[in-house]
Amino acid sequence: MRVVSVEMRDFRTYARAEARIGAGLTVVHGPNGAGKSNLLEGIYFGCTGRSPRTRSDRELIRFGAPATRVAVRLLDGEEPHELTVGYEAATGGAQAVKRMSADGAEVERLLDVPSRPLISVFMPDRLELLKGPPALRRAHLDQVVAAIWPARAQARREYSRVLAQRNALLARIRAGRASHAAMATWDRELASKALTLREQRAGAVNLLAEPFALKAGQLGCNGEVSIEYRPRSKALDEDQFVAELQERLDGDLERGFSGHGPHRDELAIVRDGRELRVYGSQGEQRLALLALLLAERSVLARERGRTPLMLLDDVMSELDGERRELLVGELSAAGQSVIATTDLGHVPTAGEAHVTRLRISPGTILQEAIAA
Amino acid sequence: MSTSYAPPVQRLVTELSKLPGIGNRTAQRLAFHILRTSPEDAVALAEAIREVKEKIGLCEVCFNLTDEARCRICQDPRRDQELICVVEEPSDVIPMERTHEYHGVYHVLGGALSPIDGVDPEDLKIAELLTRAASSQISVREVVLATNPTTTGEATALHIAEGLRQRAPQIKLTRLASGLPVGSDLEYADEVTLGKAFAGRRTV
Ligand SMILES: [Zn+2]
Repeated sequence: MRVVSVEMRDFRTYARAEARIGAGLTVVHGPNGAGKSNLLEGIYFGCTGRSPRTRSDRELIRFGAPATRVAVRLLDGEEPHELTVGYEAATGGAQAVKRMSADGAEVERLLDVPSRPLISVFMPDRLELLKGPPALRRAHLDQVVAAIWPARAQARREYSRVLAQRNALLARIRAGRASHAAMATWDRELASKALTLREQRAGAVNLLAEPFALKAGQLGCNGEVSIEYRPRSKALDEDQFVAELQERLDGDLERGFSGHGPHRDELAIVRDGRELRVYGSQGEQRLALLALLLAERSVLARERGRTPLMLLDDVMSELDGERRELLVGELSAAGQSVIATTDLGHVPTAGEAHVTRLRISPGTILQEAIAA
Repeated sequence: MSTSYAPPVQRLVTELSKLPGIGNRTAQRLAFHILRTSPEDAVALAEAIREVKEKIGLCEVCFNLTDEARCRICQDPRRDQELICVVEEPSDVIPMERTHEYHGVYHVLGGALSPIDGVDPEDLKIAELLTRAASSQISVREVVLATNPTTTGEATALHIAEGLRQRAPQIKLTRLASGLPVGSDLEYADEVTLGKAFAGRRTV
């Protein structure tokens, strides 16, 4: 599965633009503010229906235009596929509309489409994943689980559904509108879903731990950098988890929601025993994020035989010459990647025939070199 | 919303829009359709609604729909009274019957546990099921928990299983095999799938 091209209409700075993406490495270069990040964002938006930078899709529409549309063309072996995302902002009385399609048929979520490429993105905004609240890392980890083992993707949803029911029951008991009669039942349901989710997360982190430490070292992270899954619950089985819940029932009733379970787990990224989130410099955090994404990429390639398309924005300025070569070497070894840079000289192999080059000037994309 | 309809029309629209899946626009379309039909057809519809509310009640044993005190299944001497299949809604009985695999009786709960929707154990026919299963008149052999394989259906099955283990530990408890796709309603399961699910039911 590979992305062949992306076509954007009224997307950010682009009125109308198309870019061919190479089968291996694609380098996007141009001055700051020309729209390199917007192109990467467009590719991501076309493949997932979401922006990696903003929750407000309205920002994606070019100033003055009523709507935006992104189409991504793919090749699965010889077989072509097309994904489209259209977004029309709310006007007057009409609500905003987002329409997504796969091969011409409307779909509710692109994430469920089998022909969708896996995609991984490094952007300055993504640093939130390391610096932000634990919920972001949990959600990311659960996406990694779903990418490695698609059949296990529903564990998070099932847990969330039971959690919502238990919270509703707590609120009803607190308000005097329900008895405790069904509490034990929901505790047990929560325990069963919680243990499944915890096991899957632990399994994914287990696969990631070694490649992550390795990549972090190679990229020049200082000290001993590691990734640790820190589940809230220490329960060894359902009964113990239920007991943990019951111990906390009074507190839960007081708050009106459940304070214990995988929805409070942490995925910690640690250097020499201290969390990078708190004690790391911005530079260290950026390297750790890159190491994490590269570790995920190698795990997915190994476990699923699918290498995610990697979108890297402004990553080269961080690295010295040796590490740039290492990164480009790794990316070129398998799969597709798109690197955005202000300075073409920062990408060691940029001039070679196997590299696709796109030059960006405000609003336009010039296809300089296309590699087969 | 327009307020220019005559009150009887508005009332019809309001009543129709209370039906599940019917929004205000569909309710208006239905109302105008009724206004255009012959008086005989319109009265027949009204009569059908009145009759179903007057004549149809719940079976005193299994809480399935019936026009008598006891439903036809509960009255049928060929049915195995010692085997009870627990379902959420009366509409779940029909697909089960179509499989021709099942010859026991039913217990219709009238929904599933869902605190979000304000449904607690007291709102379902769970206490009635426990009493029925523990009753000395019929020695129930097996209870098949055939609630939907959804979050609420699973919790309901678990809740009933716990209750039955306390009240009537000798009864064998089974759950339909997971031939049904996760999250699907029994109501939408086809006969073959459901027949297989019943044949492959597992003890819980
Ligand atoms: Zn009956």
